[in-house]
Amino acid sequence: MPGADKETDLTERIEAFLADLKRGGSGTGPLRGSGEMARETTYLLRRITAQARWSSAGDLMEIIRNEGRRMTAAQPSETTVGNMVRRVLKIIREEYARSRGSSEETEQQESLHKLLTAGELSEENFRQHFVLLKANVIEAINELLTELDGTTDNIAMQALEHIHSNEVIMTVGRSRTVEAFLKDAARKRKFHVIVAECAPFCQGHEMATGLSKVGIETTVIADAAIFAVMSRVNKVIIGTQTVLANGGLRAVNGTHSVALAARHHSTPLIICAPMFKLSPQFPNEEDTFHKFVSPHEVLPFTILCILTFLSELKVNSVSSPELITLFISNIGGNAPSYIYRLMSELYHPEDHKL
Amino acid sequence: MNLMKLVEYFRTQVRQDPEVPSAVAAIRTLLEFLKRDQTGETILGLRENLTQTIRRLEEADSSVAVSSGGELFLRFISLTSLEHPDLSQCKKVMVERGELFLKKISLSRSKVAKLCHTFIKDGAKILTHSSSRVVLKVLESAAADKKRFTVYVTESQPDSAGRQMADKLQNLNIPVTVVLDAAVGYIMEKVDLVIVGAEGVVESGGIINKIGTYQLAVCSKAHNKPFYVVAESFKFVRLYPLNQQDVPERFKYKADTLKAVEDLAEEHPMIDYTPPSLITLLFTDLGVLTPSAVSDELIKLYL
Repeated sequence: MPGADKETDLTERIEAFLADLKRGGSGTGPLRGSGEMARETTYLLRRITAQARWSSAGDLMEIIRNEGRRMTAAQPSETTVGNMVRRVLKIIREEYARSRGSSEETEQQESLHKLLTAGELSEENFRQHFVLLKANVIEAINELLTELDGTTDNIAMQALEHIHSNEVIMTVGRSRTVEAFLKDAARKRKFHVIVAECAPFCQGHEMATGLSKVGIETTVIADAAIFAVMSRVNKVIIGTQTVLANGGLRAVNGTHSVALAARHHSTPLIICAPMFKLSPQFPNEEDTFHKFVSPHEVLPFTILCILTFLSELKVNSVSSPELITLFISNIGGNAPSYIYRLMSELYHPEDHKL
Repeated sequence: MNLMKLVEYFRTQVRQDPEVPSAVAAIRTLLEFLKRDQTGETILGLRENLTQTIRRLEEADSSVAVSSGGELFLRFISLTSLEHPDLSQCKKVMVERGELFLKKISLSRSKVAKLCHTFIKDGAKILTHSSSRVVLKVLESAAADKKRFTVYVTESQPDSAGRQMADKLQNLNIPVTVVLDAAVGYIMEKVDLVIVGAEGVVESGGIINKIGTYQLAVCSKAHNKPFYVVAESFKFVRLYPLNQQDVPERFKYKADTLKAVEDLAEEHPMIDYTPPSLITLLFTDLGVLTPSAVSDELIKLYL
């Protein structure tokens, strides 16, 4: 029966994705980089919307929430998966509200105004059935996908406003967004880039090779030299893994030290991060989002005498919003204190905890 | 309606239920006034009577919370009267909505506690200031969640409210130590986080709270400890003080002091202002907010 086939096909796809997620965490699986993970998640959610059995918006949201919970449990350190699930949930709410004919904005957020003027304790239960809802939601998800595709270009387009001739820019490790950003600026301006190699994986080397291929003068430095060189740097531009709800960052190890060094020298710290990296978590809530890897890069397996000295390497560090000057995202530049507003536009408060 | 009777009603509210926030008691009193008021013919007349009542209530209890509750109620009246220009129908709707509003905000303390207790980790040492019922609720939720933590409470002179807080915490079986107000700097290196309540949250995202809070905030900033504020949303008030002197005199001193004493310069203030730069996060029933988000909420309501 075609219906049953679709169901099993869908569950197979979901299981395959979950397995990819579990493997993809160490950087060796097929899903590399948060951009691809976000895209894959959105494709899967679109597929679920199209193929799963649901009659009302409430059912669909329940299904997506359950799948979302499983996906975030498979790889807690990849927050983009959860972010995309929340985006899709918000899309469903908006489309439902639009189908009902009510204005979307006033219904959505909790506010003092709403407390004072609301009629009854009405619980929005999303039970009404609308014929066009499926098509509308899928169309909206397609728009989301187009937005995802264009994020790196949108960020790179803003490069010329921020990078000027003869500047010295510092960056840490390897970030595709920052690479595109710098390459775009290099078309019209001449500047120097100092790349911190970011041990133990030394991704800074790849970054430096990529930049020098387009003719940017690049220097690679060891992590220990960051503070020493900082006095000669005009700007620090880095990427991040996640942007937290208070405007802080969860990024590659060593970012916090760079941020502190930049503050000490009053050097502006600019973060290039697309909107799908914005997550509604706060830094103190869970400590389970630190990723640990084997220490074999630092301490090769052949050294047997040092036993339990170094059992794992933490690869993420958390920075606070006061150290950051500007966030450049695909919708423009924003101050860290404005993040709360962007969050309220992207996610519904009830979806913050999946 | 007799103003004296209303003040009595207010006082009885507070006496009967010591857990009720003073803003809620004020709003309940004003709602009672609305129900009993027979003299008002126009919306403007109603507003005038209400403003008088609020002023009388402020004379009875000069805290910021009563003032913010009163302003919120006035705003509520204006918003409702815009929708229903006919007075008698308007009054009916107002009374209905008022009851609903009271029901909703009675849940706000639990909402705040639910948001905040996840930020308290096992083995945490918490420092709090004076006696706050919201903080008590938060700590109660965290303890109910089987988290182990210890609490330091400042004594908070001149009324030693900290000791009452310590007693209440001991009843909940939470290990608690009372410290001198002067010992805040000394104890700060031991604590992991600071949680305080607020009597009022101002537009800039700063707070008005019992005297000594500002010191606590400055110390925690110096030691890089997170400084959390827990407050319900009806405490948001339309003030924008730039320094301690900008806080209006009528909030700084107790109602009796304001009436009795001629030269206020001789008196000790009961509250102080903590600027938003020292606050890490605010936990309200509208969600977890950064100080910059507070003004957004106020604008949504008042403008």
